[in-house]
Amino acid sequence: MRKYWIVFSVALSERLVYRADFFLATFLRFIPIVTTILLWRAIYDGGGRTQVGGLAYSEMVGYYLFVMITRAFGSMPRLATDISTDIRDGGLRKYLLQPINYLGYCITLRAAHKIVYFVMAAAPYALVFWLCRGYLPGWPSGTMLVLTIVSLIFAFMLGFAINSLIGLMGFWFLEVASFVHVFMTAQYFLSGHMFPLSLLPESVAHVVMWLPFAYETYYPTMILAQQLDAAAAVRVIAVQALWVLVLLAAGQWAWMRGLRRYAAFGG
Amino acid sequence: MRARYGRIILRFWKNSLIREMSFRGHFIVNVTSEILWMGLLLVFIRVIFSKTSNVRGWNEEQYLFLMGTHMLVTSLFGAFFYNNCWRLAELVRSGDLDFVLLRPASAQILLSFERVDYSSLARIPIGGTLCVYALVSLEQTVTASQIGLFFVLVLSGVVIMYSLLFMFAVSSVWLIRQTSIDHLWFYAVSLARYPAEIYRQFAGGFLYFALVFVVPLLLVANLPANVMVRAFDPYLAAYFVVSCLVLLGVSSLAFRFALRWYRSASS
Repeated sequence: MRKYWIVFSVALSERLVYRADFFLATFLRFIPIVTTILLWRAIYDGGGRTQVGGLAYSEMVGYYLFVMITRAFGSMPRLATDISTDIRDGGLRKYLLQPINYLGYCITLRAAHKIVYFVMAAAPYALVFWLCRGYLPGWPSGTMLVLTIVSLIFAFMLGFAINSLIGLMGFWFLEVASFVHVFMTAQYFLSGHMFPLSLLPESVAHVVMWLPFAYETYYPTMILAQQLDAAAAVRVIAVQALWVLVLLAAGQWAWMRGLRRYAAFGG
Repeated sequence: MRARYGRIILRFWKNSLIREMSFRGHFIVNVTSEILWMGLLLVFIRVIFSKTSNVRGWNEEQYLFLMGTHMLVTSLFGAFFYNNCWRLAELVRSGDLDFVLLRPASAQILLSFERVDYSSLARIPIGGTLCVYALVSLEQTVTASQIGLFFVLVLSGVVIMYSLLFMFAVSSVWLIRQTSIDHLWFYAVSLARYPAEIYRQFAGGFLYFALVFVVPLLLVANLPANVMVRAFDPYLAAYFVVSCLVLLGVSSLAFRFALRWYRSASS
């Protein structure tokens, strides 16, 4: 019996070690919030303003906090690279032989990853949001809460649609992985992760705010931050749904076209 | 014996160049995303200064100069030391450190100079251009001694970053998993991209004090930039250069001390 107890306790402490590391790593992710709080304080003070881009100071800090949640839904680390690698080195074969839709398989996998991540990350997120509670609005009403959740789920699907589409370019181009790096940099800006898109000059904002990236991060974040009313939130969700449909259809099309070219390298 | 180190280091740099040139695509992509990233930072700065005329006393051109300086420091550090420091942690984990220790030369020098990431050097012309552009728009004349001091401080900043990260890497002799340390490092360095003054009031000045006098990362770009475009504090500069030399000595002692605990790995 003793040896099983040892195995059990070792396994348990191993999980806990990794848990501690995960907790710490997630918590550290919020370090830039310190800079955000201080930099924007300096900007509001320097300009003698109470509003920047339609946001009060606390709303600005709140925006950056909520972006962390939206990105947790929309970000798809390594998805594009994984798909293009499967295509390039022939790993795709094993899915083609199975009675399963490859993209369907990928999105199911990602959904599971996200759920595990949310459960694990709940505690560090709660801690940070509690520490920063002074910058946050109160709890939303029931209707808004539902709309927020729907919009976040669409953010997840948009993130998947965009990234898988880029991964599928692997049927035509060899070096998708390097393109992904450039793309991520552009997305950081276009999605409103870097700063709220309402700060952009009107002519630029006009274009950027219609792109799918804005619907992946900026708009869901604005709903989460209670900056949009219910009617506006419903409009956002409708456009999100439209973008998801268009991009998933494009993905499916790229998949069909790509398979015709697919050579199944490797043995 | 001593004179040979020059030849060894030169050989390392040559080998790295050969490695880099066999992945030219990678090099080009890195340069592209660096340029894109700089463009986005410029947009962000433009947005900030469309809302205020100064950030805690830094005007737009001075801020640009700070950004350029930060690029110079991080690019030199990234090119020469970043990868080498992480490689040390990896060598400890795999037990391959043995091969370095067996060689009849200073292990710290061998470890610290083996790889050069040439694509990181692409940021030097970008950062340099930014600095020159800022100086020209400020219509500022600089003396030769200012320029000399600027470079001394930039190099001190690089050495401080190296000594700190090298010590972090050395700690892998005791700690095996270090994801959190990697995160912590990344965020600590990004704090230094902003005017140091914004951190003054936070947590009763504790953060500022810690990042200037305990882990002097905050000044790596701020101090050289101050010398060129703002007021210059000779005491702080002297402290910075001295702490650079002290940290370098401490990192060497820490390395030797840690080697006593190094047990290699079973193979």
